[in-house]
Amino acid sequence: MRNPLADVPVPLLDDLIDDDYVRSLVVGVVGTLGTLGLLGLLFPDSVAGDLAGIVFSAGTAESTARLAAPIVLAGLGGIFAEKSGVINIGLEGLLIISAFASVYIASVIGIGNAVLGVPAIWIGFLAGIVASTLLAGVFAVVCIEFKADQIIAGLAVWLIALGLAPFMSTVFFGGVNTPNLGASVGWRYSATMVVIATAASWWTLNRTAFGKHLRASGENPKALDTVGVSVSRVRYAGVLLSGVLSGVGGSALALSIGQFVGSGETMVQGKGFIAIVAYLFGNYNPLGTLGAGVLFAGLDATQIRLQQLGYAVPDTLVQTIPYVVVIVVLALVGRTRIPAAAGDHYETEE
Amino acid sequence: MNPAVHLDGITKRFPGVVANDDVDLAIERGSVHALLGENGAGKTTLMNVLYGLYRPTEGTVVVEGEPRSFASPRDAIDAGIGMIHQHFMLVDPMTVWENVVLGNEPRTWGGLRVDEKAAREAVIELSERYGFDVDPDARIEDVSVGVQQRVEILKALYRGAEVLIMDEPTAVLTPQEVEELYGVFEELTEQGKTIIFISHKLGEALSAADEITVLRDGVNVGTVASEDVTREDLAEMMVGREVLMEPATTPQEPGDRVLGVTDLRVEDDRGVEAVSGVSFELRAGEVLGIAGVDGNGQSQLVEAITGMREPESGSVEYLGEPMAGATRREHIDRGMAFIPEDRHEKGLVMSYDLVQNGILGSQHEPPFAAGGRIDWNASTDHAESVIEAYDVRPPNPDADAESFSGGNQQKFIVGREFERDPDLVVATHPTRGVDIGSTEFLHDRLLELRAEGKAILLVSSKLDEVQGLSDRLAVIHEGAFTGVVDPATVTEEEIGLLMAGETLDDESVSGAAIHDAVDDGLDGDGAGDGDGAGDGDGAGDGDADDESGPNREPAADGGVEA
Repeated sequence: MRNPLADVPVPLLDDLIDDDYVRSLVVGVVGTLGTLGLLGLLFPDSVAGDLAGIVFSAGTAESTARLAAPIVLAGLGGIFAEKSGVINIGLEGLLIISAFASVYIASVIGIGNAVLGVPAIWIGFLAGIVASTLLAGVFAVVCIEFKADQIIAGLAVWLIALGLAPFMSTVFFGGVNTPNLGASVGWRYSATMVVIATAASWWTLNRTAFGKHLRASGENPKALDTVGVSVSRVRYAGVLLSGVLSGVGGSALALSIGQFVGSGETMVQGKGFIAIVAYLFGNYNPLGTLGAGVLFAGLDATQIRLQQLGYAVPDTLVQTIPYVVVIVVLALVGRTRIPAAAGDHYETEE
Repeated sequence: MNPAVHLDGITKRFPGVVANDDVDLAIERGSVHALLGENGAGKTTLMNVLYGLYRPTEGTVVVEGEPRSFASPRDAIDAGIGMIHQHFMLVDPMTVWENVVLGNEPRTWGGLRVDEKAAREAVIELSERYGFDVDPDARIEDVSVGVQQRVEILKALYRGAEVLIMDEPTAVLTPQEVEELYGVFEELTEQGKTIIFISHKLGEALSAADEITVLRDGVNVGTVASEDVTREDLAEMMVGREVLMEPATTPQEPGDRVLGVTDLRVEDDRGVEAVSGVSFELRAGEVLGIAGVDGNGQSQLVEAITGMREPESGSVEYLGEPMAGATRREHIDRGMAFIPEDRHEKGLVMSYDLVQNGILGSQHEPPFAAGGRIDWNASTDHAESVIEAYDVRPPNPDADAESFSGGNQQKFIVGREFERDPDLVVATHPTRGVDIGSTEFLHDRLLELRAEGKAILLVSSKLDEVQGLSDRLAVIHEGAFTGVVDPATVTEEEIGLLMAGETLDDESVSGAAIHDAVDDGLDGDGAGDGDGAGDGDGAGDGDADDESGPNREPAADGGVEA
């Protein structure tokens, strides 16, 4: 089935996105928002008017940015790992561990203190990235060196973080939820990081030799090996980058509130899995992932605001939207192309 | 002047095996050198020594007069040696230029950015210098296998290769692409490059190489100039005894009709019609050969006959019964043996051992199935008997299929299928990848089956094979038979014309009695409800296509004087 939006001519985007599926995704999101805005202007008293009021309110934009940061950043990380041939379904775990580590370290140092002139909250931010990268490193060793099944190892990463973070919170703070730091990282910082990370990821994947090697490693590792590039080194780099980016996402999520919430599914609440959905929906293109991440986060933010206005929108239903979308995209549109060697171990023959 | 490459007394021992025994080989600069030998003769090992994948146990590799010791292929590449593997090492969704420069990308911006412009220009420049017709921006998955091979050559040239080693370069090519490859050889050698290619095909060694070295059991049997030898000489050098190049078929009166195919139309996976109204009959004790360039509908025709693909219309009748809607198991149970063209995909389960592979297709019936269990003793005995009768090496039924070489895998499949006691054998490329000694044996066995009164449908891209074994020879082009000829009297040129889609007016060639099955009113008798989608048996009476199809196919009905 051909994507009906694929033929919309958008010459400006042509250079940036050489994939008409992703291009149509971006056009679709922009088009839907535009239509909604127009309807809202024309019929300000209707549901569309309320909806447009919410969607285009500063409050929604803020919470969208907050909610989108972990999804988009973990999604970008997932692209690096999967393009290299390692499917990292442990993104959720990386988000959890970095969310906790960032808050913990910031509170250990103490808000108001600084190390080498860097305020505690930013030290915490870095600590979140380090924690996530270390956990991703363990995952990489298990998958690449010891050739464990990537799906099972990825689930283990999630389950370890899901158990470890609330446990450590209980040990250090006496409860699964940490106390609030009383300081936070503003949403503008998160939004800036998302934009920079998206652009940098796109450029790295499409313009650098490393990007080409990453792609070859996930499509036909033997081809890369025979031209003298170490496949496992490229794969380690891909998985560690997924750790770094997820770490940025997890820290941004926790520090935007100033607290780690460890009850239930923790404050991450499946955003790592939605990140996987986002990059699949975005067809491994960082721009598509950004679009998908903002779309999912926007739906969630809108849903929250609608509830506040008294509309009985079931939140659990809204939260299933990303998963329904990915099934539709994978099954019907069928334009997402998974790297040929993703999930396979590679053993050099020399 | 020094030879481009001199292998000086190379011996390579593996635990328990001597793969190369004191091999001496000097290859002139600017020449094409064929390394000929049977499976397991040590050709690939020798080339892996030259390419730095193996270190020789004894002996030296001398390149351009300098003794070298390669620790890895990188060293060999640095010394100007490039290898083109049989299975291409290309990244499908990437473009030609990206593949060529992969791992050695020119950079700008202080090494940060790939210099696409420089890379494309380098690829275009190389491609033009050697007369390759390659679009640098095409994706690998969109270009033909022949072009992919040229991209592999470009990869080696881009890395400064002076000596190109090619492992069975024609194995995956169509006859036209093979001709083009020979042209590429000429271009390359004219500009001073040296080519060594590994082969077990006599014909291509004779037509493409300047010099031929024959290896047998790891020993260099001799290096000869290609104009000084005949196929028979080479075959004898390879096998170590005289080889009958022409299988000896004896005339035989065919028996009852085993297979009847009527106006068969089959679509390929993309929904394009691949078989356009083919009709023929096959009788007991008869071999019908189907010749044609690969990809002209042979696969789909065979799949429709063996029950692996539902035809759009037309019928297949086997032993007097229509086969429409019959499952694959029913086909096997009714005595239809099938040697598939792709042994990895359809012939074997690569991660099963030969015992398990040996009972595939018969696992549900005695003697292998006993009371809901599989009788592993009987299965092992069966695998061992096939291994012994068909000389599968190493003779280890407990080894996984993937650990065997292609030729030995093929021998095992052929053995399994031949020993099913079938009424019909559908054999596609039965000797693909098999060395001449074993090919001779498989051919003899095939003719024995014919003498026992089995019907055999033989699809092969090896012209001498189909011509030598068949009682009748059908030539297929774009899904339709362009002619059914008597292989004893037809010339290779005539077959070539038919393969290219021409027809022959010469009645004497089409000695086989031909009539049009459709005109005789044998209209798709398997046709049932005709309710469209999912109804595989298809052809409703009065289907407009049946009356007006442009490719009305002659059905030769067997009465040939072989």
